[in-house]
Amino acid sequence: MKPSHGIFARTLIAAGTLLAALHAQAETLKIGIAGPVTGPVAQYGDMQKIGAMMAIDRINAAGGVNGISLEGIIYDDACDPKQAVAVANRIVNDEIRHVIGHLCSSSTEPASDIYEEEGVMMITAASTSPSITEKGYELIFRTIGLDSLQGKLAADHIINRVKPRNLAVIHDKQQYGEGLATTVRDLLAKAGIETVMFEGVTPGDKDFSALIAKLKRNNVDFVYYGGYHPELGLILRQSREKGFDVPFMGPEGVVNADLAAIAGKAMEGVLATAPKSFEQNPENAALVAAFKARDEDPSGPFVFTAYAAVQVLTDAIKATGETDPYTLADQLRANRFDTTIGEIGFDDRGDLTESTFIVYQLHADGSKTPISE
Amino acid sequence: MSETSLYVLQQLINGLTIGSTYALIAIGYTMVYGIIGMINFAHGEVYMIGSYTTFIAIIGLLTLGVSSLPIVLLLALITAIVIASTYGYAIERVAYRPLRGGPRLIPLITAIGMSIFLQNYIRLAQGSRDMAMPALVTGGIQFGDPAVFEVSISWMQMIIWCVTLVSMTALALFISRSRLGRACRACAQDLKMTNLLGIDTNRIIALTFIIGAALAAVAGVLLSLYYGTINPYIGFMAGLKAFTAAVLGGIGSIPGAMLGGLILGVTEALTAAFFPSEYKDVVAFGLLVLILLFRPTGLLGKPEVEKV
Repeated sequence: MKPSHGIFARTLIAAGTLLAALHAQAETLKIGIAGPVTGPVAQYGDMQKIGAMMAIDRINAAGGVNGISLEGIIYDDACDPKQAVAVANRIVNDEIRHVIGHLCSSSTEPASDIYEEEGVMMITAASTSPSITEKGYELIFRTIGLDSLQGKLAADHIINRVKPRNLAVIHDKQQYGEGLATTVRDLLAKAGIETVMFEGVTPGDKDFSALIAKLKRNNVDFVYYGGYHPELGLILRQSREKGFDVPFMGPEGVVNADLAAIAGKAMEGVLATAPKSFEQNPENAALVAAFKARDEDPSGPFVFTAYAAVQVLTDAIKATGETDPYTLADQLRANRFDTTIGEIGFDDRGDLTESTFIVYQLHADGSKTPISE
Repeated sequence: MSETSLYVLQQLINGLTIGSTYALIAIGYTMVYGIIGMINFAHGEVYMIGSYTTFIAIIGLLTLGVSSLPIVLLLALITAIVIASTYGYAIERVAYRPLRGGPRLIPLITAIGMSIFLQNYIRLAQGSRDMAMPALVTGGIQFGDPAVFEVSISWMQMIIWCVTLVSMTALALFISRSRLGRACRACAQDLKMTNLLGIDTNRIIALTFIIGAALAAVAGVLLSLYYGTINPYIGFMAGLKAFTAAVLGGIGSIPGAMLGGLILGVTEALTAAFFPSEYKDVVAFGLLVLILLFRPTGLLGKPEVEKV
């Protein structure tokens, strides 16, 4: 961090804001919405767009923020890091100071550098890569939980609720699965729970009989699996076949309708960490109805997080009476906000202080029930 | 029995099961190589097609209301053998026969092309997601002291052993006793001479493709029921493992393919038993390299005499 640079930028921007405020009274506040509009992941960009636009429209309908009405402007980064940099520069040139986005972590990372440098506040509703906020940015926030939080949540659940005697941690040797598995093992070790088996399997493998015999031999009574559903489904199915009947737990990557098809009855009772289904929260019923009235689908994972991103931004503007990103950033860090994804706060890095993941118990018919802590 | 010996026994049971299916697929590689000296890289896809046929046949029969398990399994087996054999014959007819007599590299390339074609054709026709087979054969027997280590053998594992044993015995009898089997052996010894003696070698070559495909289909039925999921990519790894088994036992030798399959399966299971299970492929293929270094013709292969 270079404080002198920050102060210089702040003074400059404060002066700019003052000038802007002088002739921008009762005008509109432009908010950039950056994400893929085209390309292979455009449907995710659409989730972010409908969430943010819905929030903007509803806030405007309620009279705007301190008399200022909001205007959402869509920018297309196509989930391409190079285009994301171009988009970020265009947003800066268009004198937009508040951005909801970007969507893909690989686009969000290079864009964040530009926003931080140019004094633009960015709130991403979808990027989960931990490395984005590791650089200690001042103006970068997110309203979605990090992948690594799932590991902590799973570890807490195992420590407090499961209390296994012989725990095994199995993973699929891929970044996502092994990363989570390692997090869980390390957190459990800190709490004094030793992992008796820590092993990888080969993705695409079909035969897990040798692994299951080994689990049985080690008298394993609980298995955490880091990876995706095809392998876990087969492990479950073959375990039950061989009379190895202990509880399993996995991350979001296993929560998939195909798991039930593969594992059948063997998946009954499997635990998994997954994002909360905000559209099923009764408090959001009116909002869900509003989406339905527009013929939009609110069930995507980024719709409500994008809505919440606009909410925290406008709440901070309302509370401070200013639109200066640095003032707003302080306000975001210092306070808690009541949003459509629940009451949230931000830590020093700009990450959520609470997890948007919860532990679910999965059932053989494909449904899941949340387990309250 | 001590805990370790029970554990090793369990892993041997697991290894023999998987090894039996490697052996079934390996026969197709070794017979084709024995007669025309080419490696049919599309053979793994025939196994995959056998699995898909099983899946479709079983779902169809269950939908039609056929509830007797032995009848469902038998009909699925017959359907899979018929369809996969047709594919085996068609592959030979379309991709290999027109190229016979050309340089050896050319059928090898068409084999790889055929493999990619079949894989993508099934992916487009059936989708690339895993398909799950209903669990038809469940349960098994367990023995050993539950307090020490309980060995379990599932009914499905026993079915795999029995069906493999029956198929292999039938094949051995066919090769050694029947007229066509004798013609096969003659072709393997000297293709040109057999032809001169009035045997339609094209017919015999087609027959070896059909036999290989039929055994791969048997493996497809067994493994899709045993594991419960199939996808269009399973043929690649299964084919690679079976090919390894064939080379290990000595490519061109039928008993070699059987032995190679079992050794490979048991090696994998025992590696996974005492080392982290991700090392099982490393050890299995490492073993292949070692054996080829010391016995280039494989365990039961005959050294090829260079004819001048």
